[in-house]
Amino acid sequence: MKRPVLRALRWFPGHPALAGAGPFVLLVAVWALVVELEIYPRAFFPGPLDVLRVFGSLVYKGILPTYLQDSVTRLAVGAAAGMVVGIPLGLLIGLHPASYRFFWPLIIFFQAIGDIAWLPILLIWFGFTLTTMTFVIVYTVIFPMIFNAALGVRTVPVEMVRAAQSLGASRWRILAEVLIPGALPNIITGLRNGLGYGWRALIAAEIIVGTSGIGFMMFDARRSGSVVEMILGMIVLGILWYVVDAGILRPAERVTIERWGLVRQAP
Amino acid sequence: MTARSRLGAAVWFAAPFVVLVLAWSAAVELYDVPLRVFPRPADVIQALAQQARTGALGNHIWQSLRRVLVGTTLAVVTSIPLGVVISTNRYVAALSAPVLRFFSVLAGIAWIPLATLWFGYGFGAITFIIFNAVFFIVLYNTILGVTGIPQALRDAARSLGASRGQVVTEVLLPGALPNIVTGIRTGMGFAWRGLIAAEIIATNAGLGYMLFLARDFYRTEVIVLGMILIGAIWVLIDRLILVPIERRTVERWGLARSAG
Repeated sequence: MKRPVLRALRWFPGHPALAGAGPFVLLVAVWALVVELEIYPRAFFPGPLDVLRVFGSLVYKGILPTYLQDSVTRLAVGAAAGMVVGIPLGLLIGLHPASYRFFWPLIIFFQAIGDIAWLPILLIWFGFTLTTMTFVIVYTVIFPMIFNAALGVRTVPVEMVRAAQSLGASRWRILAEVLIPGALPNIITGLRNGLGYGWRALIAAEIIVGTSGIGFMMFDARRSGSVVEMILGMIVLGILWYVVDAGILRPAERVTIERWGLVRQAP
Repeated sequence: MTARSRLGAAVWFAAPFVVLVLAWSAAVELYDVPLRVFPRPADVIQALAQQARTGALGNHIWQSLRRVLVGTTLAVVTSIPLGVVISTNRYVAALSAPVLRFFSVLAGIAWIPLATLWFGYGFGAITFIIFNAVFFIVLYNTILGVTGIPQALRDAARSLGASRGQVVTEVLLPGALPNIVTGIRTGMGFAWRGLIAAEIIATNAGLGYMLFLARDFYRTEVIVLGMILIGAIWVLIDRLILVPIERRTVERWGLARSAG
């Protein structure tokens, strides 16, 4: 029983996307089996078909697409704002030794006050609004960006800067052609961390602030005890991260690592 | 490092915070911000003294730390052996890696609704969320670490007469250790945030609960106190426990790996 499965799997990796899907097919099969055996009551532990049915009905009603759009827009706006502010700030702090010395402990500290810990006071300031959610996501994305951009600039070997200087490069050219490219791998790492944290913060914010979005859908389902919708929400979130990872982060990492030394606009 | 330079570093680390507190208190005085919107530093200190006196603060901190400790310990103790077992078989490892990545991404906050339904509101649900946040990331990293060990090293150990058990304890575990430790650090970072979120939603004690309760009464001084504590405790855990362990492991065992 086991061997043919393994042999079939060995031939599976024809297309990378398919190779990744194989294990999930197995997982869903095991899941369906456990549900069919009725070990747990169905209301607490629904099967794949139930989830698929709810998926169909929520898409048909237009609820899921709307919520998904809300969540993705929030994440995109937050990430973009975090990058636009965070990268230049990080570069500045990293390049200026005195401000590095001053700001570094503060950055570590404010990064440690988890995004979610800001929610209560934000709720007092802005109420249950979009501003609250945007603030949380921007805050979450911005600190890993500053942290890693500063780290990246500081870890560029000083010989590189001196070599460029002795070849007659101006300050701007050193910044644009030595320091920023040298810091890019770190900046991308910062983007990965920032999005990872920001994405979790988004879910938490949607659960607590609760106006729309996938997180809200899940918590709403919790209120009405609909396990199917919770699981559907989790699956959507997992797939969403896969898309962000494979569509944005991986290509960005590949570009910066392979093309080290070239100025590239990270997406 | 000499005692003198250590002291110097501590002063340099503390100085920005002193400046920040001064700026904060000046700003609140200058603009006459009401307490409902933002507290003065003195209010926060007063809240600290008051909460500490009643013992409520100690209880909240203890509850939060206990959950993190129990959840993380359970996760680490189970995930590392499981990771080693999974990665001894190439096919099983290849099969489970994408699934584990899926779950390590989900881990933590996304489980809150389901966890509260399965375990009820309280210790069980929150520990489960922390367990989840740490378990999948450590498991994934263990597998990544073990499968990344060159086959030649295993073969060398075997040909020198090492038993299977010895290969595990002397080659596989040490070789995977840098990855495992990085996994624990990342996982705990997510777990700490997940903890605060879970405590806001699903319990009646802990730092997250303290924050959210204070919100109901517009007690911004307690909220800010809680935020400072959450940040400070995490900095302490990370800098005093996790970072030294990570650095030592990478120095000792990391062959040509970057510290990430």
